[in-house]
Amino acid sequence: MMQSLDWFLGRVLDLTSNLLVGAYLLPVLIGFLIVTPWGESFVSSLTDRFPSLKTARGRLLSGLQLISLAGFAVSTQTLWISSKISEGGSFCSSTSTFSCDDLLGNSKLNVDPVLGLSWGLIGMATFALLLFIVLVLKQEHNHPLSERFVSMGLLTTGIGLLVIGLLVSYEIQEEKICLYCTTAHIANIAAFVGFFRLKKLQEDNSEWNK
Amino acid sequence: MKIDVIEDENAAAVGNALIKVMSLFFIGIMIIAFTANPVSVGTNEGQRAPDIEGKYYNGSGWTEFDFSSYFNTSWQEGDVSGQWVVIEFMDTDCPYCQQTADEYGQFANTFSVNNPDWNGPHVNFLASATELDIQGHETDRAEIEKFRSDYNHNFPYIDDIDQDNMKEWGIPGTPNYFLIQPDGIIAWSSSEHQDEKVNDAIVRLVPRESA
Repeated sequence: MMQSLDWFLGRVLDLTSNLLVGAYLLPVLIGFLIVTPWGESFVSSLTDRFPSLKTARGRLLSGLQLISLAGFAVSTQTLWISSKISEGGSFCSSTSTFSCDDLLGNSKLNVDPVLGLSWGLIGMATFALLLFIVLVLKQEHNHPLSERFVSMGLLTTGIGLLVIGLLVSYEIQEEKICLYCTTAHIANIAAFVGFFRLKKLQEDNSEWNK
Repeated sequence: MKIDVIEDENAAAVGNALIKVMSLFFIGIMIIAFTANPVSVGTNEGQRAPDIEGKYYNGSGWTEFDFSSYFNTSWQEGDVSGQWVVIEFMDTDCPYCQQTADEYGQFANTFSVNNPDWNGPHVNFLASATELDIQGHETDRAEIEKFRSDYNHNFPYIDDIDQDNMKEWGIPGTPNYFLIQPDGIIAWSSSEHQDEKVNDAIVRLVPRESA
């Protein structure tokens, strides 16, 4: 009886942690769709309600805002999970491949190899920077530093791709997949695509100023 | 004058974005600070003990060692029911490890629930056997088995011939002892208390029924 209860509670916890991943993944995927070339048709029904979505710049910045916010939130969650595990708790421990505790709770792998900073904290700082760039460009798209801001966003997410490569190698080494980390990785890739398209758009002065 | 207005607008855009992002970052950090109390992993007293990996020998054969199975993270200070852990980092060829081996075996028997004279919780004794980079210290599993048998030890010996655990724990030399609470937090280490023996540390720190 007790074993059945333990099994049931374990399943509920698994389900809750997976649902929470979905809550972060959904805005990332929606943001990703908006920043792709098919974003225009995807948001066509929303343009009356959100006029900023009528222009390519508006769509890219809105999509990037959604991605950066969700990326920031999921990075905060990973830092929180690392902290809870260090207390001795568990959050998404599982014997299956999908066990984020084995990666976020690994004191050797959950920090960067140079400064020893938590990957969650680095993710928070990265997505906060991207969000800052997006908010400035939304308010003042012809800001004197706008070109530099877009390049900075592209460079940051480009470096992020290298970091993702390293973190995925850890997952392969441990034979575990951390869904929260993967969501943050998808957010970085989506942001890279968004900033790449924003950079291209910026080069076309008439499109940028629409 | 017009230029000043444009500059102000540009500065306002950056300022507004900065305030929003910094507020968000601050809120995120505050949520973590209020809902989590992280304990760093390390080998100083008060830190969570790093993992010990490898095969261990318990008298019958070599099997995978699971260090986390010794700990109960919900243990509360003062609770006499939790089992404590003493781990010795040693080398079978280290003369001082050989000198203290008899004594270490006696401690394992003394601080056991099988000893009616001990009114405290069970203390699990472990030994992590390494091979120091000194000429004449070459070792293998057979030597570890023989050492364990020669000193009539009945506790697990972990194979750390590759020095992985020793490096992870930052062990400067052998023997080196750690007393670990039932929740996995290091309560005492011999390198921080060179004048105190591990048995004295157990008596001083482990809660007992009558204490």
